[in-house]
Amino acid sequence: MDREEILKTLKSPANWGQKYSLWAVYFCTGCGVVEIPPVITSRWDAERFGVLPMATPRQGNLFLITGYVSVKTLGAIIRTYDQMPDPKYVVGFGSCPVNGGMYWDSYNTIKHLDKYLPVDGWIAGCMPRPEAIFVAVVHLWQMIDKGIATGYERYKENYEFYEANQRRVLPHLPKFGGAETNEGPNG
Amino acid sequence: MATAIVTRIVFIVVLPVVGFSVAVLFLGLSRKITARIHRRYGPPLYQPIIDVVKLLTQKENISHGILFDVGILLGLAGGLITIAFIPAGGIHPLSTSGDFLVVLYLMLLSPLGLALAAGASENPNASIGVSRKLILALGYEVPFLMAALAVMTRFGTTSLVEIVAWQQGSVLDWAAFVLPLPALATFLVMPAMLGIRPFDFAVAPQEIASGPLVELGGKYLAFAAIQGALHTYIVVALFVDLFLGGGANMLTFFAKMLAVFFVGVCINAVLPRLRVEQGLRYLWKWPTILAFVGLVIAVLRRG
Repeated sequence: MDREEILKTLKSPANWGQKYSLWAVYFCTGCGVVEIPPVITSRWDAERFGVLPMATPRQGNLFLITGYVSVKTLGAIIRTYDQMPDPKYVVGFGSCPVNGGMYWDSYNTIKHLDKYLPVDGWIAGCMPRPEAIFVAVVHLWQMIDKGIATGYERYKENYEFYEANQRRVLPHLPKFGGAETNEGPNG
Repeated sequence: MATAIVTRIVFIVVLPVVGFSVAVLFLGLSRKITARIHRRYGPPLYQPIIDVVKLLTQKENISHGILFDVGILLGLAGGLITIAFIPAGGIHPLSTSGDFLVVLYLMLLSPLGLALAAGASENPNASIGVSRKLILALGYEVPFLMAALAVMTRFGTTSLVEIVAWQQGSVLDWAAFVLPLPALATFLVMPAMLGIRPFDFAVAPQEIASGPLVELGGKYLAFAAIQGALHTYIVVALFVDLFLGGGANMLTFFAKMLAVFFVGVCINAVLPRLRVEQGLRYLWKWPTILAFVGLVIAVLRRG
């Protein structure tokens, strides 16, 4: 810690904690998750950045969407995101959450993740290297410092927008009434 | 008289704070040592403080009812009060005759509090974790209580301060040398008491999503983490007091604790996780046999 860092810490201990203790929800959405084990184990050692995998959404505050998001997975992602306590940060990992990637014309994946959840940052590439996760983490630190990593607040402010989009592809989610309908995912 | 009472009250307040600081330092060290054993760089030494600060300053805290809140607080209170009973290098504000028995009972308060919270959260993973924790407690209580009974029999007292006082001569007066078998048995069950590998099946993150902690987030997880740190301090300090002669002052006491804890961390870093029945089989076999033989020898030598 240098001197500026100490002053910043004393000014806002909450920011300091949020920055250096990013606990990632250990949730594998797609193929991008093969990059996560090397990141959290000996080779790249994410723990030196304070990034730890957490087994439950209640304990996590960093949500990595690793790879393509099928419609069924999107339901689980939304439930997981809703269970995480504020403040929480979402990072799209790989090309697929950005714009569909190689699944751009698939009938069963969603193309733009930020229509359904507020995304704080993207890591482009197919696959991104593990180093890209650290670049993203450092970038997220700067965003938290500047106070612009506010996806969880945008989610609350624009909830009608997100909810309408979620309801369109996933009308059978428990939070939209719970009952299974005959409508398919695109119905 | 008045100054004695004031000193005592000050120590009752200070000792849990000191214990918590030492435990947090130990946790930071353990993460660093584990990282070095894994050939990683590891987090900074103060990473547990960052984590607790983050959890305490989280904007949203999800509760699951009044029992949930009370259970967490009960666990934390159990840890805090137990520390005041354990002599730490000459400081023992709540010592009376029979405080060893009180400590043995109070040590169960923290797991029970956590079990209460886990039950209130109504998560199946939490229930599985609690039942595994109780099985684990059943496993290590048998050898540990026999070893404790051997110590009580050998020194003829149930006061921790007197047990420490009996060991104050040379190094050979330590109970680890007077009672080698119970000391070895307690050392063998210590990973189970600390809940570290190979006995971490109660909070196995990969199997049951961290068990009793599954629904804890924000302040609740912070309190549970503090309680876990206090529990580590209690178990290691009790081992040092019972078998390694306590400490003439706080410095030697914490140095001995660090030595014991370091061995525990090394075990934790290299061993995989046992299954529930494997753990129970191990705990009821070698540590129990050793503790029982040690107890018989202690009784025969006394009678």
